Amino acid sequence: MEALLEATLRLAAPLLLAALGELVVERAGLINIGIEGTMLVGAFAGFAVASATGSAPAGVSAAILAGTGSGALFAAFAVGRGADQIVVGTAVNLLGLGATALASRALWAGAPPPGPTVAPLFSGTAAEIPWIGPVLLRQTAFVWAGIALAAAIGLALSRTRAGLALRAVGESARSADAEGVSVGRTRFAAVVFGSALAGLAGAALSLAQSDTFTEGMTAGRGFIALAVVIFGRWRASGVLLASLFFGLATALQFRLQARGAAIPYPLSLMLPYLVTLAVLALASGRGRAPGDLGRAYRREAA
Amino acid sequence: MNVLVGLVRPDAGRLELSGTIFDLSGWSPSSALRAGVRMVHQRSALVPAMTVPENLAFGDPRTGAFFRPRRARAAAEALARRFALEVPLDRPVEELSPGQRQRAEILRALDRGASVLILDEPTAVLTPGETEHLFASLRRLRDAGRAVIFISHKLAEVEEIADRVSVLRRGRLLASLASGRVSAAELGRLMLGDELAPILRRARAERGGERKPALEIRALSAPGPDESSHLRGIDLEIREGEILGVVGIDGNGQRELEEVLAGVKRPTEGEIRVRGERVALQPRYLRAAGVAHLSGDRETAGLVPGMSLAENFALKGSYDDRRFFRHGRFDRAAARRAAAEAARRFSITPPDPDFDCAALSGGNAQKLAVARELDGRPAVLVAANPTRGLDVGSARFVQEQVLERAAAGVAVLLVSSDLDEALAISDRLVAIVRGSLVAVPPGSDRSAIGAILLGRAQA
Amino acid sequence: MRALLTAALGLASVGLLVAALGYSPGPALRAFVAGSLLGPSAWTATLLKTGPLLVAGLAVALCFRCGVWNIGAEGQILAGALAATALATRGPADAPALLLAPAAALAGALGGALFGAIAGWLRAMRGVSEVISTILLNFVAIQCVALAVQGPLQEASGAYPQSDALPAAALLPSVGRVHLGVAAALLLALAGHWLVFHSTAGFRMRAVGLSPRAARFAGISPERTAVGILVLGGALAGLAGAFEVTGVTGRLYEGLSPGYGYTAIAVALLARLEPLGVIPAAVFFGALEAGAGAMQREAGVPAEATKLVQGVVVLLSITLAAAPIFRRAPAAAGRS
Repeated sequence: MEALLEATLRLAAPLLLAALGELVVERAGLINIGIEGTMLVGAFAGFAVASATGSAPAGVSAAILAGTGSGALFAAFAVGRGADQIVVGTAVNLLGLGATALASRALWAGAPPPGPTVAPLFSGTAAEIPWIGPVLLRQTAFVWAGIALAAAIGLALSRTRAGLALRAVGESARSADAEGVSVGRTRFAAVVFGSALAGLAGAALSLAQSDTFTEGMTAGRGFIALAVVIFGRWRASGVLLASLFFGLATALQFRLQARGAAIPYPLSLMLPYLVTLAVLALASGRGRAPGDLGRAYRREAA
Repeated sequence: MNVLVGLVRPDAGRLELSGTIFDLSGWSPSSALRAGVRMVHQRSALVPAMTVPENLAFGDPRTGAFFRPRRARAAAEALARRFALEVPLDRPVEELSPGQRQRAEILRALDRGASVLILDEPTAVLTPGETEHLFASLRRLRDAGRAVIFISHKLAEVEEIADRVSVLRRGRLLASLASGRVSAAELGRLMLGDELAPILRRARAERGGERKPALEIRALSAPGPDESSHLRGIDLEIREGEILGVVGIDGNGQRELEEVLAGVKRPTEGEIRVRGERVALQPRYLRAAGVAHLSGDRETAGLVPGMSLAENFALKGSYDDRRFFRHGRFDRAAARRAAAEAARRFSITPPDPDFDCAALSGGNAQKLAVARELDGRPAVLVAANPTRGLDVGSARFVQEQVLERAAAGVAVLLVSSDLDEALAISDRLVAIVRGSLVAVPPGSDRSAIGAILLGRAQA
Repeated sequence: MRALLTAALGLASVGLLVAALGYSPGPALRAFVAGSLLGPSAWTATLLKTGPLLVAGLAVALCFRCGVWNIGAEGQILAGALAATALATRGPADAPALLLAPAAALAGALGGALFGAIAGWLRAMRGVSEVISTILLNFVAIQCVALAVQGPLQEASGAYPQSDALPAAALLPSVGRVHLGVAAALLLALAGHWLVFHSTAGFRMRAVGLSPRAARFAGISPERTAVGILVLGGALAGLAGAFEVTGVTGRLYEGLSPGYGYTAIAVALLARLEPLGVIPAAVFFGALEAGAGAMQREAGVPAEATKLVQGVVVLLSITLAAAPIFRRAPAAAGRS
């Protein structure tokens, strides 16, 4: 049971981080399906830098930076030029896949050697406390960051002026514009922030959940993050719960496999996606998307 | 006014405020806000999903970095009391009635201490008592040295509150006079103008014999986005050759009525009959029964931007018009011929059937729509603001077409927010107020009609 | 002409990247061109890659034109390949070629259509954005193939996770290695053009794609059109998958599609969503894939460079495009 809870949190972390980033982006009115590519780029950059420098924290910084760059690219086209967000997101995914594969082949001929990983946050005596120890305290900083960010983002969206302004931009860009809030700048910032988190999520994959980088290792988690945002009804608390749900589902899937292959491996691999689809089918209709989601905004000219 | 607050970019212009001259190119909402110009829009510029205190806070630098809900609420409450404007503070704006929303908008503008406050038809949804309070607040602002621009078509209010009156018509400033020096009658003349006497209805010889009802609507109810636009039990009847004008302030259910009659909105109850036969409220069946639909908005009128004149001419017939659609195939040549003929007859420029409809001017696009709708020899024509945004010549043309059809026996339902137009060409008027129809006694003048339109409007 | 510019810029940018990564561009470029354009074997390779890209690209173009964001071509291709293989290897063993080959193709179309229909149903009935559902279905399809070739469809010898070789009767006739499917793809593109510009259904499709609101007032249901086009798109992509197994590989295995479904998106955008334009666009990307393969074999540059070209092409397409189709928002995710 402890192990299950521990696994839930650990597996939920990348999803949570990416979904929180996307939450901010969508509350600002944009849809970025390029999180998948961004996570991958973050995973790669994080691992590459960590391997090269021998320092996992350096890798994490690199991952965040890489995510930021990817976000800037998306924002340049989707916000700067008002281009279609789905198409730009697809491009980011393609670029991410291609660039990481290319770069990883260039750096390592075959599978890269295992690299440094992020250590658990607490160790020693504190980590021995029954229950809290293994489940919480021994988790890596990624888990803690995810939970802390969920709280911070939730608070920021409802209790800070910047958060309110961001929500205004996403709900009704025209209203925000009329109040002097810069729609373009707010959206740009939201995208860059969201992608930075996605990059961090990627680092969670290559520097904690595993100790290496494999091509395409995100395996659709970025897309599941999109579903998590919907499932979480565009609220930070909902996103946290939804991520935990998926983390639990994944942990259970691994358990079942380990217990004996009563379920064929591919079927269990399919489960997260099927669960996501089912959840979307059942959850849609309730909960509210931001009013201006997906729409580019341009002030009317005479 | 949209230019003044930075929402629309002007081609040219200069603004002078308290002796400072501002160049309007590059004017943005923040420039306007900094210069102290604030507007209360007719179309609410509040964020629908947020509460009033949140709306007040997000754009206000005085809020500081953190938003404290209780403090904000208290401040909003104090503000509301100070200006005697009652507004619910705990519900999202989208749940408020139009009157409440209006008051919240005014509150926000007043809150920022604007040096120039622009109010666009603010009393349209206020009760008389609230109007009095508003006027008192405005007078206080004026005495404190602020400037207030009050946009209104209600001459009585203008007389009451204004120090000076300016009349704009068709984009030009006609006059700017001290309020005491001009009578309501003169204002009316300035507003309506005496150039181009409004379209005259041709004297209709009384027809012998009974004219049969062409369109009957019974108990039609349909949902709308807010309280005042739900359709509630609409009953009406239009005879052959009769033009019924439905007048009202935008947002009282006109759009819903139009959408139901066009077949794109399902009513919760009610039915319609065309020439005595019951007709299902879907575009295909309506068309087959001879109901045509004209609209001032291109997409609502069913004109697809990016498709050619020919394709748009054929558009509504994709299910049943064998002239253009046979055996699963679209006969483009036939459509082109028909469109070219229509362009010739209705003087559409350019008369090229392959021309992209999106590039047509408003007038020409409307002519195309008219050509298409009248092509099928309809029995009933539903025309909703058909001359909106058109130049004088095109508007004239459309109105003449409508009159011609009526003379030929078509029943016309004209839904118009342009009172002039409705008065000019309708045989009979009825008002739509909060989703219900209210009779307009024949021979009513403008102010009587205005009173009906406002009803006993309670927020 | 913008398309040409886009293609050229795409190539150029990747050439730069390749050089930056330390590969000498000269031999790489030479291998690339030789592998895709010089000589009959090069052209064969190009055409074989062009085939699925043509059909899948057509599917994506038709969907996008309708405002339906079908990102699931990859999964639909695999579903089609799976269905075709199932029929061919587990169906009547002695069926004549005249029946079996078309039947396999039909099965493929049905398989892809099924996946499209699922996304369509989710959109129409539950308001689930097809962007997410089709992407998720891609992953489901990948595992379905894995499941099949490790289980019920696995080859008799059980040595590798792949299906039996398809019976000869199910295979497409071919000239050299270029199979009939490539010609069929060409015909399909022509049919697609006829559909969009000359058929009633295509007329309605175009109206919905350009203005769902105006179309509604004309009696056309955008919802029903969307579902219909998802099914059609799925069917086409499924057909592409069927052609792959019956014309190129001769059996089903994991990793059958090297991302054809995603490349198809780049194809459709480069073609500016025109059915006829899909033909040269597919050839471009087909040559790219073929050349990249050669480039990898002979100059050591990883073939994934093509993904980069695709990404750049997509971005350039929307930058250089003024077409309104690129400016519309998808249905809000989670709500239709």
